[in-house]
Amino acid sequence: MKENKYIVDTTLRDGEQSPGIALSIENKVAIAKMLDEIGVYEIEAGIPSMSEKEAESIREIVKSCKNSKISVWSRMNIEDVKKSITCGMDIIHIGVPVSYVQIYTKLKKNKVWVQRKILECIEVAKSHNIDVTVGLEDASRADIGFLLCLIRELKKAGVNTIRIADTVGVLTPNRTKELIATIKSHTDIQIEIHVHNDLGMAVANSIIGAKAGADLIDCTLFGIGERTGNCNFYDFVHASESIFNFAMNKKQIKRIEELSYSILQGAL
Amino acid sequence: MIKIIDNTLSAFDSCLPSKEELLKFCDLLFTIGVDMIELSVAAYLKMEQLPDKGKFVLKIEDIAQMKTYPDFFRYSYHREEFIDKVITEVQINDIREVIKLKALDRCKELRIVGLDDIMSKDFDVVIRNIIKTLPNCKINLCPENTYNCASAIAVQWILNGGNEITSSFAGCKGNAATEEVIMALRLAIRHKPTRDLTVLPELTALYEKITSLKIGNNKPIIGRNIFKVEAGVHADGIIKNPATYEAYSPSLVGGRSEIIIGKHSGMKAVKLKMEEQGFSLPKDYIVEVILSKIREYCTENGNSLNDLEFVELVNEVIADERKQIYS
Repeated sequence: MKENKYIVDTTLRDGEQSPGIALSIENKVAIAKMLDEIGVYEIEAGIPSMSEKEAESIREIVKSCKNSKISVWSRMNIEDVKKSITCGMDIIHIGVPVSYVQIYTKLKKNKVWVQRKILECIEVAKSHNIDVTVGLEDASRADIGFLLCLIRELKKAGVNTIRIADTVGVLTPNRTKELIATIKSHTDIQIEIHVHNDLGMAVANSIIGAKAGADLIDCTLFGIGERTGNCNFYDFVHASESIFNFAMNKKQIKRIEELSYSILQGAL
Repeated sequence: MIKIIDNTLSAFDSCLPSKEELLKFCDLLFTIGVDMIELSVAAYLKMEQLPDKGKFVLKIEDIAQMKTYPDFFRYSYHREEFIDKVITEVQINDIREVIKLKALDRCKELRIVGLDDIMSKDFDVVIRNIIKTLPNCKINLCPENTYNCASAIAVQWILNGGNEITSSFAGCKGNAATEEVIMALRLAIRHKPTRDLTVLPELTALYEKITSLKIGNNKPIIGRNIFKVEAGVHADGIIKNPATYEAYSPSLVGGRSEIIIGKHSGMKAVKLKMEEQGFSLPKDYIVEVILSKIREYCTENGNSLNDLEFVELVNEVIADERKQIYS
């Protein structure tokens, strides 16, 4: 029997970060409604802390969508988390840098600080009864021991889903399999996989990640996203519908691509 | 020993360029790390003679063509042939057909074309079975790209013990993309043939000229926009240390990082761009006004800003601020 897998569409967040596009409220709502209609499990709608207009577009998406869970992306920053909460979405997704290059060079902090900070942010969100998922940024270049310790702490804090992000797109299929299988065998947390296409392997790595135990797969329309983009929604379903069950079929995704092409073509 | 055969030049028969362009294309392919170049007969005839350097494979339709064109290192042929210098090409569309390979164990060299869906199967087992089935044969894998997984399959073939693959530039023959395979092997197993990837923009431009096809802006390794960063959090990381958000240095492939100003930009990126454009930095509250105007402008226009638009917008905000101070 085929396993059920769930699509998290991040066209309106990571996809929109592609240089060459900037979506209006109307465009964001139109795309979200189409994704909602075909049964996308979760729509990552944007980054509320970016501007009041962006927060407004997310509130509109929350109002317009009937089926999908609506999530927002937030930095690991209490002010940003508070701002996100005002959007009334189902899930707040907080990104936590986990590789040493991100922690020591970008944040200029250490592992203890990172762990304390993410737990503080989770507490703020949870105190408003918002479901929290945590994105382990640059997980593909992180120390696996640190990842596993952090995941255990997150689980204790009430986080049920973590996103494994191949932020710079360096995973190969065998490394993806090893990473997801290791997390799966050492923790009891739900895994979401978020890969980038820097080596042209986003679709393959997403399939391998799903086979190794990730239940949620991050995709974007046309595979748009930072740099070379994310996992292409259509290609992923096309390539793996023989082994997984999805709420939607290829034809429905193609139809959305046709209808949103004029809005998103700047990123292609 | 890892070997990459690039078969791009067996795909140009409908748009054959000049002899000089063909020679240049070959030179650039060898420069980026290709070990052998496969030509169609038409491409070879246009070239008139093979370059002095490098190994070449001729794609033949009839085995007699080996005598007509004797100068090649190898010949690829789509029927079973058990003689020296011939790479027999066989199509395998389904992993259940792998068993049939046993019948080809007398082949000295074999190219397996297809296997486009092994990522959704147990790819480790499939690869192991192929290698075990033909222990005395040099096997070259040419995965097809039906599911956008060909480069991953080609790389995984090498990582799991295979030695040879066939790919094409930008994956134009519906197989793995040569440049993606080369970069992935470099990052995954530090496979670094002493070659130079900085010629990739030149190779891309020549490919576009020959085929009249435009490479996608976000195409891995060779797309025009892949080192442009707009999101505030990413731009900040790149400013502090490029390694935070780059899998490899853009300069390795003849590119450079570029901060793009748009709806997703943050204060740091705007300040950096202002300095780049020769502005002296104003107080933070003015940068905040500029950022807010940028977001408004980009959302209205559905695009990021080019440098000219950025300069105009900054000048407008600064002029408005001055008016308010002196009015």
